[in-house]
Amino acid sequence: MTAPLLSLVDVSKNFGGLSVISEVSFDVAQGARMALIGPNGAGKTTIFNLISGVYQPDLGQIRLEGREISRIASRKRVGLGIARSFQNIRLMPHLSVVENVMLGQQARAGSLLDMLTPISFFGHSKWRREAEGLLDEMGLDTFPGEVVATLPYGIRKKIEVVRALIAKPTILLLDEPAAGLNNTETDNLRDFLMKVSANGVTLLVVEHDMSLVRSLCDHAVVLNFGRKIYDGPTATVQNDPQVLEAYLGTRHAAEVSSEAVRVA
Amino acid sequence: MSGYWTGILTVLAINIIFAYAIFLPVATGQLNLGGAGFQALGAYAAAFLSANYGLPAAVTLGAGALLAGAVGFLIAFPILRTRGVYLVLATFAFAEVISGLILNSETFGGPMGMAVPVFLDYQVPVALALVVTVFAFYLMSTRFGLMMRATHDDEVVADLLGVSVRGVQVAAFAIGGAFAGLAGGLYAHCFSFVEVQSFNALVSIYVLLYVLLGGTQTPWGPLVGAIFFTLLPEVLREVLPTVKLSLAWLLGLKGQVAAPGESWRFIILGVLTITMMVLRPEGLITRTMLERVRPGRHASARERSP
Amino acid sequence: MLLIQQLVNSLMLGSVYVTVAVAFTLTIGILNFLNFTIPTLFMLTAMVGWALANWGVPFGLSGPLPWPWALLIGILVAVVISLIIERFTFRYLKMKYGDSTEHAIPLVSSLGFLLVLENLVRLGYGTDAQRFPGPSADLTMTVFGIFFRLPQLASLIIVVFIVIGLTWLLKSSRIGRGLRAIAENPDAANILGIDTHKIVPVVFMLTGLLCGLAGALFAVNYGEVSPQMGDDIGTKAIAGMVVGGLGSVWGAVIGGLIVGLTEIMTIHFFGADTVQVAVWGLLLVALLLRPQGLFGHHAIGKGKL
Repeated sequence: MTAPLLSLVDVSKNFGGLSVISEVSFDVAQGARMALIGPNGAGKTTIFNLISGVYQPDLGQIRLEGREISRIASRKRVGLGIARSFQNIRLMPHLSVVENVMLGQQARAGSLLDMLTPISFFGHSKWRREAEGLLDEMGLDTFPGEVVATLPYGIRKKIEVVRALIAKPTILLLDEPAAGLNNTETDNLRDFLMKVSANGVTLLVVEHDMSLVRSLCDHAVVLNFGRKIYDGPTATVQNDPQVLEAYLGTRHAAEVSSEAVRVA
Repeated sequence: MSGYWTGILTVLAINIIFAYAIFLPVATGQLNLGGAGFQALGAYAAAFLSANYGLPAAVTLGAGALLAGAVGFLIAFPILRTRGVYLVLATFAFAEVISGLILNSETFGGPMGMAVPVFLDYQVPVALALVVTVFAFYLMSTRFGLMMRATHDDEVVADLLGVSVRGVQVAAFAIGGAFAGLAGGLYAHCFSFVEVQSFNALVSIYVLLYVLLGGTQTPWGPLVGAIFFTLLPEVLREVLPTVKLSLAWLLGLKGQVAAPGESWRFIILGVLTITMMVLRPEGLITRTMLERVRPGRHASARERSP
Repeated sequence: MLLIQQLVNSLMLGSVYVTVAVAFTLTIGILNFLNFTIPTLFMLTAMVGWALANWGVPFGLSGPLPWPWALLIGILVAVVISLIIERFTFRYLKMKYGDSTEHAIPLVSSLGFLLVLENLVRLGYGTDAQRFPGPSADLTMTVFGIFFRLPQLASLIIVVFIVIGLTWLLKSSRIGRGLRAIAENPDAANILGIDTHKIVPVVFMLTGLLCGLAGALFAVNYGEVSPQMGDDIGTKAIAGMVVGGLGSVWGAVIGGLIVGLTEIMTIHFFGADTVQVAVWGLLLVALLLRPQGLFGHHAIGKGKL
């Protein structure tokens, strides 16, 4: 059994006395497609923030490939192979599409020469060509030079994923990548992410769209009020009584599970 | 070329260099309201070395820029730990402390100022302004420039993407300081005299405003801002006398109407500032505007190949 | 004895700084806005008061006004202009992306207003300092060998009342609660039904009143007004606000007094020229070492403007 790529071990996080994450532990296997789900406010984005270094855990450890990373500065985590997207899109509004994507290359382009070589206006470089290539591959046929602030929501969402991908991460954290997308777009997204996964990138996805979760991810972790209440295959997550209770409340959960028992 | 025009070119060149000095930190997200302080450092360093050691202008200018840049670098670390309002105030306080120190020093002539023996004609500031402008365009076109703009737009995400936010901020602040010092040194040599009163709060406010109004998203902004506001007093000189008389009559103002011509420049700047902040706070020249002006230049790869 | 006299003088001087510092700190604390026009409003009251006292209302509508009326109208002018400033700096603030430059928009606008107002006054009346025709300077009294000027004493008492009144207003009145809610979280305040559009102008009105009062008191106490008088007072008031802590009214009081003290002591020991370095140096050190001042809130000014 190979070691997990990412491990959270008894991670807890408080904000001013309020416990947001409580003793959460789970593993993300190498090459997995894992979902992190739960009702709103369960702490999913906080987990992402802990993994990417925006916050430090108060208790517990975060291990990447066996190595404890929770004390490593957030700036250095991309270099370790962790890339992410954000729940409410956080692209640089005044930069163009291709420039936003090129920012994703930052961790790979850290040398002094890289920093001082022109990448726009005076000359195009390999970095720009790589960014434009990936944009084309993703089917983003807007002008690369278009300033991002003016583009529609769906396109900006995709650009953010491209920005995360161009960092050539080992693990990709996606925070609600399908939010605001219609059915066709969601299917496209799923196909694309399957391809990404096939290329060896591990996926950890926060999502509310259960059909996407079921078709894309084989494993799921469910959080509720900062605690883990389920850690297992996606196929059986909706039958778990604790999960039902979390989403529907005790009375309805009982109804649904008795329904499920009758139907099964 | 007549003395009148060489004078204007000199002032314009110095203002352009000064504009880029403030542009760099602002483009990175730090409002620097202490530009006059760095200018004073460069001006007095150049004046001092020239008057007391007879060093050639090339050396004094370099020394002035270096000193201002070094001070900018040193002070950047503590100052940039402050944010927002505090940062603006700290840069402002810094400039006032510098001018206060100079005012009180005998070595630098105190309130009397210093004469500068070596004179530089307009070609030098113009050439240097060209160099600085090209450098600014170059810097903004590099990945470092990208890092600067990312830091301006969203520090948190820039950091998460691997940008050393503090490093970028300090570098922009220090290089800006050096440019301001260069502008000061040129001022010393082109006007043959420095006095600390000319490096005052109004100068800092003035340059910050015309950089903001020109637009801080691209390196075209400070150029446009500097040109417009340097030429403004000249235009006013033509138009002013009639306007002044009619306005005074309109407002029924009595008392001394022997007003300094300067005031109009500031009133117009002030009105434009207020208007721009309401209508177009990004400044005149924006990224979107530039992209529209350059169609097809950045066509996507797919559209380029048949 | 001399030292105590100096302390008393500092108290008097400080009370002017305190009033303006309170105006600054209220605007920053509630609206997160460093309002650079505050010293200009201070100057406007004094200059308008002087102009009215010397020539009366323009267009020949009256003869020279007695100084109390002139100053009262001056204060009114300051309030009105402050409200106009609110319309054009704060009302139009459009936060599209929340980046650092956007947060600076009101500050930059206020710089614009500063330039316009100060230079309009210069245009109209020149740059020279003018004598303000106030009450005769002979209203003095000596208590235990300490010399008090009655107008200054009156100023001090008025300032004390203002501060107590303001603190009560903020703590107990409905408007005060609304203001504190906006300071805490403007969006939440909106949702909770507080009509920010009605309450925000209150801050600007208070600003105008405070600066106007300070300007009037200054004119009466020192008898001299000029278009530049705001600049110096502004510096000291900002220093007082920072030392006391942004957003704290009592901090502004103590900070303003400390600055007054620093100024008097510096003049006494080192001469008048060093005041600029001393006060600005104090401000810079405070900003670098302890930006939140004595009583300030951490949250203000952090992150963006």
